[in-house]
Amino acid sequence: MKKNNYLLILVSITLLLFGLSFSISAADYDLTLYSILTTDPDFSDWLNDVETATGLKINVIAAPTNSDTRQQKVTTILSSGDSSIDILELNDEMASSFKNSGWLAPLQAQVLTADILKYFPDGYVSDMITSRQGDIIGVPGYSGYLAFWVDQQKLDKYGFDSIDNKEDFIAFAKAASVDGNYGYGGSWERTYVFNEIATFVNLFGGDYFDWTNPANKEAIQFMYDMVHKWQVTPIEQLADKYEQLNQKFIDGKYAMIFMWGTGAEYRAANRYGQDQIHMAMMPEFKTRSIFTDSWSYVLNSASKNKEAAYKFLRYVAGEQGMLSAWDNFDRFPARSDVAKEIPENEITKMYQRYSEECIVRGRPMAPQTMEFITQMGTIFQQAMQDKITIDEFCQQAQSFVEQYK
Amino acid sequence: MKKNKSMLLIAWLLVLPALVIRGFTIIYPIFATFKISFYKVSLLRGINEFVGLQNYLDVFKDPKVLTAIQFTFIFVVVSMLLHIIFGVILALILNMDFKGRRFLRTIVLIPWAMPMVVIGMAAKWGFNNDYGLVNDFIRRFFANFELSWLIHTNTARFAVIAMDVWKDLPFFAILVLAGLQFIPNELYEAARVDGATKVQAFLKITLPLIMKNILILSIPFTMWRLASFDIVYAMTSGGPGSDTELIAYRITTEVFTNLNLGYGATLAVLLFIAMLIFSSLNLYVANKK
Repeated sequence: MKKNNYLLILVSITLLLFGLSFSISAADYDLTLYSILTTDPDFSDWLNDVETATGLKINVIAAPTNSDTRQQKVTTILSSGDSSIDILELNDEMASSFKNSGWLAPLQAQVLTADILKYFPDGYVSDMITSRQGDIIGVPGYSGYLAFWVDQQKLDKYGFDSIDNKEDFIAFAKAASVDGNYGYGGSWERTYVFNEIATFVNLFGGDYFDWTNPANKEAIQFMYDMVHKWQVTPIEQLADKYEQLNQKFIDGKYAMIFMWGTGAEYRAANRYGQDQIHMAMMPEFKTRSIFTDSWSYVLNSASKNKEAAYKFLRYVAGEQGMLSAWDNFDRFPARSDVAKEIPENEITKMYQRYSEECIVRGRPMAPQTMEFITQMGTIFQQAMQDKITIDEFCQQAQSFVEQYK
Repeated sequence: MKKNKSMLLIAWLLVLPALVIRGFTIIYPIFATFKISFYKVSLLRGINEFVGLQNYLDVFKDPKVLTAIQFTFIFVVVSMLLHIIFGVILALILNMDFKGRRFLRTIVLIPWAMPMVVIGMAAKWGFNNDYGLVNDFIRRFFANFELSWLIHTNTARFAVIAMDVWKDLPFFAILVLAGLQFIPNELYEAARVDGATKVQAFLKITLPLIMKNILILSIPFTMWRLASFDIVYAMTSGGPGSDTELIAYRITTEVFTNLNLGYGATLAVLLFIAMLIFSSLNLYVANKK
């Protein structure tokens, strides 16, 4: 009997310690942030800025870098009501999917009050991060563009000053497609190609949600011709994501691409600069359109640390927070007033030109975003491989729009 | 007697946490999955309604699922055949008496010890036309060789199967090797005295004696292939189109990306039934042998 008592005591102590370990770890931090930026070399500097300015102790959990895995983890956290994570960073795809789900707390009363909200881009806020009920569910962390990037060495080599329109685009692409290199490069893996399909649809003046529009067909035909007729872009990019695309661009395999960000990969490879790879003005096909995007900070509705979370969100939405993100991550401020404060350089100048000279659009998102994107990517790949015709592609695309919109 | 009862009670108490955890992690999810498979559940659209067998009927009209079933069948059959053929050959090599045999037996397991996701991501580069080591190797013999493995249906499928075999073949071979080592040398000596050739000895002695071993091994290896999704997830994301989607990958996509829980559960139930039938069949054959 004595032995049994010892056993029971041992079990009780184990359970007690187990419970204690949970409560200790939870009490150590004011809030938990699920971040996509932890691999950035300046992340710790940024975190230090945040903690110093807010007085918060922040527990950081690294989000997966793979987009599918990230989406799945975020979905699981939010849909299960997991309260262990307070703040998450969501891209446009996830924000569009989750904004009407009730999983994200509204921020207009505590964070994005009218005096701050007026500095954020109206269209983006209403299209991407405002729910059907009118709740604003995110704080845009920056303003980005799906910019046009060119290799200046190739422009010089083939005698082009700039790529201003469709004719220039085709002529340069043809000229640079020699010696196993290609004029245009893309990442046409089925979940990545969405950005390029939508970009060309915009450039041709189409509407991504209306595949009966002849301009949409023209855009897809143009992409098809780039592969098969002019042979200025390789079909093998059907397997490429951004890492393969960037590597090929850096290696001189491509002369021009569309890409997000401010060129960190090219800087790291010593290929960035006005005489090398740099951002350029979008060419004008039928329109001169460009996509904007952002990653927004959102508050998990299930969070038990809402006051600390509001404090964090007020900081990232504020001037100091925006400037810290610019200093540490080269993220162009989403707030127009803060954007004017940062020192001028080639990126800020080009962003200024994009906002003034281009039609700036948010990307076309459906509630079931990833499913819609994957379906469109799948039939696009089939069209590029001649498994279906361009007409069949447009018919199927329209049916997906009707199904998912 | 009283003491025995009390000890039994303590034993049950100690086992209870494990039983409860097992119940929650195995039995409950199975029943929950069966139940959800009769519902249309879409988290993003806020739908949760009973649809009876509709999900099951939809499966056989869904071209993506049909493609996934087709490739899963090809993947399992081809991969298992290659595992058995090359696994036995490798096991025979590892069973030979030569210098460095121990070293070879150790290093041959390295691919198996690597996580499949790492292998998948490396393979995505490895089969790249410009940067891949596969084409680099082939170009040493055929200088102008150009092939983008992962954009054509057949070559992408071949590449996925090849990586799967490359990873798990050594483990299969080591397990066959364990069976080989139980065959007494006297049998081979007797055969040699009777004038049997090496091929005859293999066909008449080795193969029959390791056949049950191979059949038993085939059960878990086939199950792993049927439930495999990580190789495709990391290497091709199911592309080109949806030609390299495996059924388990399709389930993951439906459940975690598209958040169609009911439909995903239906696919999971069907896969579960297929695995149950297969393993029962395999066990029956193995027991008969």
